[in-house]
Amino acid sequence: MLVILCPHCGPRNSDEFSFQGEIVARPGPASDQETWRDYLYMRDNVAGWQTERWFHVSGCRRFLNVERHTVTNEIGVVTPVGGVQ
Amino acid sequence: MNQKARFSAWGLFKRGLTRSHWPRVWDHHELRDSYDVVIVGGGVHGLATAYYLARNHGITNVAVVEKSYIGSGGSGRNTAIVRSNYLTPEGSKFYDRSVELYEHLAADLNFNVMFEQRGHMTLAHSDSSLRTMRWRAEVNKLQGIDSSVIGPEEIKSLAPFLDTSDHPRYPILGALWHPPGGIVRHDAVVWGYARAAAALGVHIHQGTELTGIEVESGRVAVAQTSRGDIATSTIVNCTAGWASLVAKMAGVRLPIITRPLQAAVTEPVRQFLHPVVVSGSLHTYVSQTARGELVFGASVDPFASYSTRGSLEFATGLATHVLELMPAISKMRMLRQWAGLCDMTPDFGPIIGPTPVDGFYVDVGWGTYGFKAGPVAGESVAEMVANGRPGSLIEPFGLERFHAGTLTAEKGAAAVGH
Amino acid sequence: MSRLSERPGEVIDRTRPMDFSWNGKPYRGYAGDSIASALAASGVRVFSRSFKYHRPRGILTASFHDPNLMVQVGDEPNVRAGHRLVEEKMEVSAQNAWPSLGFDAKGVNRLLGRFLTPGFYYKTFMSPRSLWPWYQRVLARFAAGGVVGVDPQPGRYDHRYAHPDVLVAGGGPAGMAAAIDAAEAGAAVILVEEEHRLGGHLRWGDSDDLGALEELSAAVLSHPGIEVMVDSVVTGRYDHNWVAIAQRGVEGVDERLVKARVKCLVVATGTIERPYVFEGNDLPGVMLSTAVRRLINLHAVRPGERAVVLSANGPGDSAIADLEEAGVEVAEVIDARGDDTVIKASGRMGVQGVIDSRGRRHDADLLVTAVGWTTTTTLLNMAGDRPMYEPRAARYLSKSLPYDVLATGGIVGDGSTDQLVQHGTAIGREAARRASVVKFQWLTAVPTGVTRQPPDTSEIEVPPLEAERHPELFRSSTHGFVDYSEDVTSKDLFAAAAEGYDSMELAKRYTTVNMGPIQGKLEAVNAVAIHGEATGSSPLETSTTTWRPPYAPVSLGVLAGRQYEPVRYSVIQPWHERREAKPLVAGSWIRPEHYGDPVAEVTAVREAVGIIDVSPLGKIDLRGRDVPKLLEFVYVNKWSKLDVGKVRYGIMCNEDGVIFDDGVTGRLGADQYMMSSTSGGAAGVWNWLDDWLQTGFPDWDVKMTAVTDGYASINVAGPNSRELVGRLTEIDLRPEAFGYMEVRTGVVAGVPGCFLWRIGFTGELSYEIHVPSAYGLWVWERLLEKGEDLGVRAFGIEAQRIMRLEKGHFIVGQDTDGLTQGHGMGVDWAIKLDKPDFAGKPELMWQAERDDYRRLAAIQTEDPAIVPPEASQIVAGDVIKGRITSSRMSPTLGRSICLGQVDPDLAAPGSRLHIRLSDGVTVAARVLEHHAHFDPEGTRLRG
Repeated sequence: MLVILCPHCGPRNSDEFSFQGEIVARPGPASDQETWRDYLYMRDNVAGWQTERWFHVSGCRRFLNVERHTVTNEIGVVTPVGGVQ
Repeated sequence: MNQKARFSAWGLFKRGLTRSHWPRVWDHHELRDSYDVVIVGGGVHGLATAYYLARNHGITNVAVVEKSYIGSGGSGRNTAIVRSNYLTPEGSKFYDRSVELYEHLAADLNFNVMFEQRGHMTLAHSDSSLRTMRWRAEVNKLQGIDSSVIGPEEIKSLAPFLDTSDHPRYPILGALWHPPGGIVRHDAVVWGYARAAAALGVHIHQGTELTGIEVESGRVAVAQTSRGDIATSTIVNCTAGWASLVAKMAGVRLPIITRPLQAAVTEPVRQFLHPVVVSGSLHTYVSQTARGELVFGASVDPFASYSTRGSLEFATGLATHVLELMPAISKMRMLRQWAGLCDMTPDFGPIIGPTPVDGFYVDVGWGTYGFKAGPVAGESVAEMVANGRPGSLIEPFGLERFHAGTLTAEKGAAAVGH
Repeated sequence: MSRLSERPGEVIDRTRPMDFSWNGKPYRGYAGDSIASALAASGVRVFSRSFKYHRPRGILTASFHDPNLMVQVGDEPNVRAGHRLVEEKMEVSAQNAWPSLGFDAKGVNRLLGRFLTPGFYYKTFMSPRSLWPWYQRVLARFAAGGVVGVDPQPGRYDHRYAHPDVLVAGGGPAGMAAAIDAAEAGAAVILVEEEHRLGGHLRWGDSDDLGALEELSAAVLSHPGIEVMVDSVVTGRYDHNWVAIAQRGVEGVDERLVKARVKCLVVATGTIERPYVFEGNDLPGVMLSTAVRRLINLHAVRPGERAVVLSANGPGDSAIADLEEAGVEVAEVIDARGDDTVIKASGRMGVQGVIDSRGRRHDADLLVTAVGWTTTTTLLNMAGDRPMYEPRAARYLSKSLPYDVLATGGIVGDGSTDQLVQHGTAIGREAARRASVVKFQWLTAVPTGVTRQPPDTSEIEVPPLEAERHPELFRSSTHGFVDYSEDVTSKDLFAAAAEGYDSMELAKRYTTVNMGPIQGKLEAVNAVAIHGEATGSSPLETSTTTWRPPYAPVSLGVLAGRQYEPVRYSVIQPWHERREAKPLVAGSWIRPEHYGDPVAEVTAVREAVGIIDVSPLGKIDLRGRDVPKLLEFVYVNKWSKLDVGKVRYGIMCNEDGVIFDDGVTGRLGADQYMMSSTSGGAAGVWNWLDDWLQTGFPDWDVKMTAVTDGYASINVAGPNSRELVGRLTEIDLRPEAFGYMEVRTGVVAGVPGCFLWRIGFTGELSYEIHVPSAYGLWVWERLLEKGEDLGVRAFGIEAQRIMRLEKGHFIVGQDTDGLTQGHGMGVDWAIKLDKPDFAGKPELMWQAERDDYRRLAAIQTEDPAIVPPEASQIVAGDVIKGRITSSRMSPTLGRSICLGQVDPDLAAPGSRLHIRLSDGVTVAARVLEHHAHFDPEGTRLRG
């Protein structure tokens, strides 16, 4: 169980959050198949630091950008999508 | 394999009398400057591929490079369950070939892999999961696979420790029963393939890490390793959890997310559970080994990670679920928990086939099903490497399906309400 | 072995005798005795038979980690008799022996030992294949361990969360000192000790040790800042200092799992004495020096009559004094610091003689070894440390630790009690300081406007604690047992290396060394050293095996805690219960499947009126200017022109075009909407909307509240529903005032704040009433009361399913699967590809260009009496062409009806299909023109 320092709620156990995966930008609805399916399926799957999205579903219900090391599970900076609300 | 090295009861007896050691199962070799085929990953998949390349296709100038020791990854960390009762025709056909190979593996490899066909039982706790069980059974029957839906009474007679009473939350309404399913000694499969491949001339390089892949005009040219460069025209990526990282060396991006899958074992007790018992709704599977330990598995961890340290939540959640199924074993003790890495794909199907880089093949994306597919994947990949194109058994599992939008239908099963 | 007169440090209470049984015979011990000490005091020498060779085994360590002292206590298998205290009327029996400990039939394996080399089973039993199942049964009979019974055993378990600043694992002198000084520095401290009392090795020491123990433990126990847990084990340190403790001795429960988020962890787990490998080293009567000191000084048990002592260290020498004081004749002391050692212990059921390296034979019934220590680095390893072997001290020592983990005591080095205490003291203060740094980080994570004093950043100086020089002693010139629980010998390790299993991990897996219940705590270092010897490398080059949690085996019961699985009930549940509704598990909800007769329930709805509790339906209150934009984006159909008072059906798809939910949304006011989702999809839809609103369209003006639990929902369906609802509300229900797919708000049965919409899942005229949930039961009962003369009847999920199937309405997740995209479900009219954008649009666009996907179809078998079970396959020969997704016997039509997914070439109305039943028989069926089997024009629901 990790501790995630939620910028709204403070230190919370990771089971309050739902992991959303690495951040992938949504291409426009007129994209070609290759671009769209890259968005749907292809992932960098980094072994190291990555910025990923977590959803504080059992807390403030805000989506957060979380820096995490995927090998050590160390957590860096946590910022809410769109700033602190 | 020469006669002297062959395993047999007679050999055991003779060596017992003379107290002499068996010959080495595999040897250390210097790294050659070039190999016809370099297989990355010394697990069941990599070693089986090497073995079938040598045995079925006469390709013996093969190196298996393994960064740690053989079987150190998923092959030595799984719960060693073998079955073929998959939902889709292509899935069940594929795994059925694997079960068939497993049934003859001991004789084939002259290494007893201890395949115990104790039967495999998947419990249904709701009418929607019962419907999915029926679906699987019907598809399986059409493939000639022994698979049927059974009721609580039969379940109780096969596994008396299961609580089939009128439970409030997870009543046992029925089960998918698959008699040919069972458990194998996973390490033995790794060692059996390694020994048999080595006897045919394959080089197994343990402690040898792939560090890079040189691609020249769209073709594989060099495999760089921690012990030196290897000139080669063919590299096969059999690295499970690390698949994305190896593919990236060749400039290939994969639809894979690496997630830990945890397992645990208890202290041994006398035999009381014969079949393998699985509950999808409770994310739990249980079997008892010949040594008397219960081996437990669960679903993948809630977040992506390359960590194999394991979590307390796995242990507590697992215990809760296991006791929901078998309340009588609360005083048994968990002895050890561990984790392996799974390369999860969006449709829960493997990725097995060529890639945009010529000579770079992948045998990855096995998610939580890799071990049971080892023999058939090895056989199929060897055939693909030898012929330059995938055979019919693995055709549905190519990398291109993610761009073509023809995902495998196992996703259908996984997403049907449990 | 026998009981001694009173000892100064003894932990037994001689005024409280305990009568218990061992293998059915009565025995007596005292309160404070372990099972093993009580039996040893009565002369018992053999406690178990070994796993593979069924060799007799006796006391080795006399502690929790004694591999030879696993016993069955009542219905509890594998109890540690060296640790578990004896209780009145306890029924203890030996495991692994048949027919008795004295004569074990399987002991014949001892003679076969030379053939049972490591991995022998991999080399035989292969042919003929037909005999393999028989071999399996034979092998299974040799499974070790105790017995579990099929009847549920009563056990009381609990969980607790803790948030200490400092947690100290290990209550020896250094650990106690660390706890005291951390607490003195203001930290909230938990001190965990595996044994029943604090003190570590001081407990079996001399009078100075006992004096120090007295002082330290009094300070610990009286300190208000320290919570002490004895007979408790830190089972694991997980990421971010999440620490698990299996706590025993708590009032009211057998065991409790404490889950602690620790700001700084102090590991003071000390050392474990290591056995020595030589021929006969597993005979009853071969004991470690700590074992005899425990027996003599804690339990007042004379461990033998005539002893040989092999000692390489001070504590070993102290054992000699203890033995002499206990009246044991010390026949010979072999000083292992020199060249002398033990070659062999001989005897049949126990030690009778000892042969030393000078070839002398000594008559003795006890051989005591003191050849070194293993550092218990498990928790350090779990914290990411990779301890290194230090040859000078012949043990592993910590290499590097993360900021929030510190170590003290024997795990770090050796010293006098004073030195250990000084080290612990400094570590305790540093731990408190580091905890305050972590606390500061946590407290300042949220901007609160409160200014906090930053913590002290200067590290506290810790005095050195050097590990003493110690000879490297692992194996004599003979072979013996390395792993007692697994019956693995040093010879086996040599054989494994020779066969090519030449890395420690492979050797471990091949021989199973370290894999038994002791998990390598006693044997790991010997195994590594002997493996190094066999492969010509040294332990330095060969790393130790990974230490995985738990530190000590932990019961499934305590891991699970109180067994509960939360479920959800509607507010109308009391009524359902009174009417003995058959419960149906639907996700986390328990709902009424029916009230005894689902067919009669259908008839009531079709002919009169019925009411069903649909409270689990997901409900989301949406307000704001931009709600239409949101609806336009998450649904596949159009929403911009939904007038106030109107309701529309919508389908939601993921970005891959796969349908994941459906429901209706109504416009209650200018900027106010109510969205409904499926019951199972309620949480997912809520999260999905939040995701888009926050990460995709943060500028949109939409306020969202999930109100699923805020409203009880009752669907009133049937030709008499207008009349019935009209009796409870002033809302104008005339068809021209309140049409199909419209919504109204108002008062129902005196309850204000309700909303009603006219929709028709069952295919009948129906009103779905949503009532503030506190009044749900009230309205439900009023409907039944007021509708008595109209023939009202409650109906359950089963009747609803039958009716929706008659009407041809699909259920997401049953009639669709994880690959079902929007087209093909008969709702193409609702997919508006001319919208600029919506979730999943590109995939639906591409799907529309293809024709290879399955279609949902209404299907009827040619024989109306046959109902193909759901999931039956539609086949053409052996080829699968689709499947039945829903099927029932329709009471309204008196025939079997189905929905199914069918390949495009068979989807046209009138197509003839073949459905394979579970017995392999194929039946013929036809595809209907409409999805509805009943009232395809919809005259009933629009009425």
